Amino acid sequence: MVDTTKNTKLFTSYGVTTSKAINPDMAAKMIKKAKRPLLVVGSGILKPELLDRAVKIAQKANLPIAATGHSHVGFLDKDVDAKYINVHQLGFYLTDPNWPGIDGNGNYDMVIVLEFKKYYINQVLSGTKNFSNLKAISIGRDYIQNATMSFGNISREDHYVALDELIENL
Amino acid sequence: MSKLTTGSFSIEDLKDVQITINNIVGAAKEAAEAEELGPMGPSPFPGLATYRDDWNLKLLDRYEPVITPMCDQCCYCTYGPCDLSNNKRGACGIDMAGHNGREFFLRVITGTACHAAHGRHLLDHLLETFGEDVPLDLGQSDVLTPNITITTGQSPKTLGEIKPAMEHAEEQLTQLLATIHAGQESAEIDYDSKALFSGSLDHVGMEISDIVQIAALDFPKADPEAPLIEMGIGTIDKEKPFLCVIGHNVAGVTYMMDYMEENELTDKVELGGLCCTAIDLTRYKEADRRPPYTKVVGSMSKELKIIRSGMPDVIVVDEQCVRGDIVPEAQKLNIPVIASNAKIMYGLPNRDNQDVDATIEELKSGAIPGCVILDYEKLGEISVRLAQEMHPIREAAGVREIPSDEQMKEWVDKCADCGACYLACPIELDIPEAMKFAKEGDYSYLEELHDACIGCRRCEQVCKKEIPILSVIEKASQKIIAEEKGWMRAGRGQVSDAEIRSEGLNLVMGTTPGIIAIIGCPNYSDCAKGVYYIAEEFLKRNYIVVGTGCGSMDMGMYKDENGETLYERFPGGFVSGGLVNIGSCVSNAHITGAAQKVAGIFGGRTMEGNLAEIADYVLNRVGACGLAWGAFSQKASSIGTGCNIYGIPAVLGAHSSKYRRALIAKDYDESKWKVYDARNGEEMPIPPAPEFLLTTAETWQEATPMMAKACIRPSDNNLGRSIKLTHWMELHDKYIGGLPEDWWKFIRSEADIPLAKRAALMKKLEEEQGWEIDWKRKKIISGPKIKFDVSAQPTNLKRLCKEA
Repeated sequence: MVDTTKNTKLFTSYGVTTSKAINPDMAAKMIKKAKRPLLVVGSGILKPELLDRAVKIAQKANLPIAATGHSHVGFLDKDVDAKYINVHQLGFYLTDPNWPGIDGNGNYDMVIVLEFKKYYINQVLSGTKNFSNLKAISIGRDYIQNATMSFGNISREDHYVALDELIENL
Repeated sequence: MSKLTTGSFSIEDLKDVQITINNIVGAAKEAAEAEELGPMGPSPFPGLATYRDDWNLKLLDRYEPVITPMCDQCCYCTYGPCDLSNNKRGACGIDMAGHNGREFFLRVITGTACHAAHGRHLLDHLLETFGEDVPLDLGQSDVLTPNITITTGQSPKTLGEIKPAMEHAEEQLTQLLATIHAGQESAEIDYDSKALFSGSLDHVGMEISDIVQIAALDFPKADPEAPLIEMGIGTIDKEKPFLCVIGHNVAGVTYMMDYMEENELTDKVELGGLCCTAIDLTRYKEADRRPPYTKVVGSMSKELKIIRSGMPDVIVVDEQCVRGDIVPEAQKLNIPVIASNAKIMYGLPNRDNQDVDATIEELKSGAIPGCVILDYEKLGEISVRLAQEMHPIREAAGVREIPSDEQMKEWVDKCADCGACYLACPIELDIPEAMKFAKEGDYSYLEELHDACIGCRRCEQVCKKEIPILSVIEKASQKIIAEEKGWMRAGRGQVSDAEIRSEGLNLVMGTTPGIIAIIGCPNYSDCAKGVYYIAEEFLKRNYIVVGTGCGSMDMGMYKDENGETLYERFPGGFVSGGLVNIGSCVSNAHITGAAQKVAGIFGGRTMEGNLAEIADYVLNRVGACGLAWGAFSQKASSIGTGCNIYGIPAVLGAHSSKYRRALIAKDYDESKWKVYDARNGEEMPIPPAPEFLLTTAETWQEATPMMAKACIRPSDNNLGRSIKLTHWMELHDKYIGGLPEDWWKFIRSEADIPLAKRAALMKKLEEEQGWEIDWKRKKIISGPKIKFDVSAQPTNLKRLCKEA
């Protein structure tokens, strides 16, 4: 198993709170436990190796996808429930208990974020961290301080393996 | 307030004595207020609370502040540091939201101060040089100063008459700054209201800065045919001495140009620059379109790159977007640095009172790395002569070339593949991978990084092997740097009244789909080419694209398959499909000015002291959206916030999430999407657009449809709505894929639906939304929540309603 908890060096400090470093099996357990989870993917997902894995995660865990940036183009011909939304807008709406969600069925209790610029997703999650009870799990290759739980900083190759292990455990 | 007024008087019996009182605080404003005034709105010379209830809180009710803190803590005072996480309150009582509102507000007033101080410097300098009576000849316009007029109620016609507006901006900035102090304002919403007010003042400061230089320094005056300027590092002639200027304030540079012209040196010395000083030097004495000889090297991201290239023989800095490490970086390559503005003195010795020859000798010998010269006559002579003298010295020393191949290999081989540079890089360039290939002799991966690299050198700061990674990237990119040649139209100044009259109807009716303003700094999250792609897309769709500053530069750096830049392909007028380079950063005031003029000239709204009504008109009727794709500096935050108070939304690049706050509406909350019909005061539902005033996008592909959507306005007529929806839906399909989820919310009748797909879309409305369609008449019978009434007068201001 790839140890995704080792390197938690910060891109830049956001102050007091840091996310808990987790391994893929724990991430899978948390996702399975969530009542209303949402997979949030950035435009970095458009690399074929990552896109395929995101599709598998969504399918296996039955997760709806919030496709941010221009990532939605990658999901058009895939058998997943993907809808476009801007991630800054999404971050704001996630802090509102009255948001009907991207499917009209209400807000979410967990987001799983994948393939964002680390500074951008850290900013978006700093809003949800401080102004909501949302749990955020980062399964990208960078340690995201403002998530609730996150993989550490890992190589691209280890990241692929970690995602495969996550899929296996879902 | 003082009763003294500006002026002079002589004592008869003492013929040689004259007492001149130039600047009694408040006197100029009092004199201005005493003038006979025409129609006047409710808010001339506004204070901190003037716009709050009448306009700002209305905006902030729909466009809610979205807080994304940069830090869990507050470190403002000695009570702290306090942990504010989870919106806790600190020892002083402020909570996380309030603190971050204050943080954003601080950025905005910093930017406002930069522009106001720039305006004050230029105004005083030009008044002293040319006198008070220089007319504000800015082109074919009666409305010369829309931002000043809306704010103060005044319409200055000469340099001297600008002083009340300048004083007002300065006075209010002091009031705003005071609210930062611990124990003052703590409500986030009020910091945002104050930020909006500061944004309006920012456009006053920018307007002053630009109109005084246009009037006194003979810049192009609303000229769609302003000359094309050579641009890019590749345009610099390495055989000539190169005098490189960096900053935002053109005052000192004009003396260099005058000296070069007087001494017939224009073809013997390369004069070029970076950032807005560079743009403005290409405007100096260009009103008669003489052949340009100065060049624009590029945007701020090139500052360190051009220094590391070794090409500049002398660097002169003035103010604002200037790196803090220019002296140590330049010193390594024997480049003297002259600081020419009191805002940046770099700890260098002042040589204002020293003989010119002695100063040149001191700098030439390397006895000092640079000096301060605030006397512009001396600056003009010393900088040009020094460049000529340094050129052969530096050539002989071998410091005018980038590192040798051997040095490059040595650097690359030192890399230990630790990955620290990747972690530190703000835009996450995969430097380790590029270095890995470079070790194998393949430099192409390093070369690919050049265009995206923003030249910040954070990679070097963390490299344990002390590899000058930026220099490695630039060395590997020699070939493409040599080919970095583009064209940019010299900044043309404001949009004329005639252009507004001719284009205003199209904009209000929607047949010109919108104004796209591409402004801002170069720290893009993807590649610099993003702004080119966005501009080209909108130009081909007949939007009016206006630009300023570094955004204007980067739009001109790329060519199509025929080798032509956008400036060569599209006209420079404020017309459908026009690419309008307004000028430098301070010219951004003319972008809000254009929207304000549509409201004033075309919409017939009183401009004097009437911000809320002008802004209300723009928000409801003028389809405009800004793009600051690399918004970096505090000035960018104040420019954007100034656009926001005037109802102009802006999309920013992903880095700008670090500003800590955005203004985003809840598109699902129907209570937010209502306005009044001014005819009778009844509420009328509107579609959710623009759905933000300030937000970020992840990629340029996402930003493009976002901006097209943000140009939709409540007052669109059927034709305009149909055209705007066509562009938005096509762009969404092209870049995001498929139909937007909420397209149907914008349909009021069948005439709104894009013509080319009308039948198919009506079918969708019937099947997916349950709307009733009369297929024989091809009409929508029922379904839309919003109605279209051609004579409706949408407004957010209840007081404008007839029955209010």
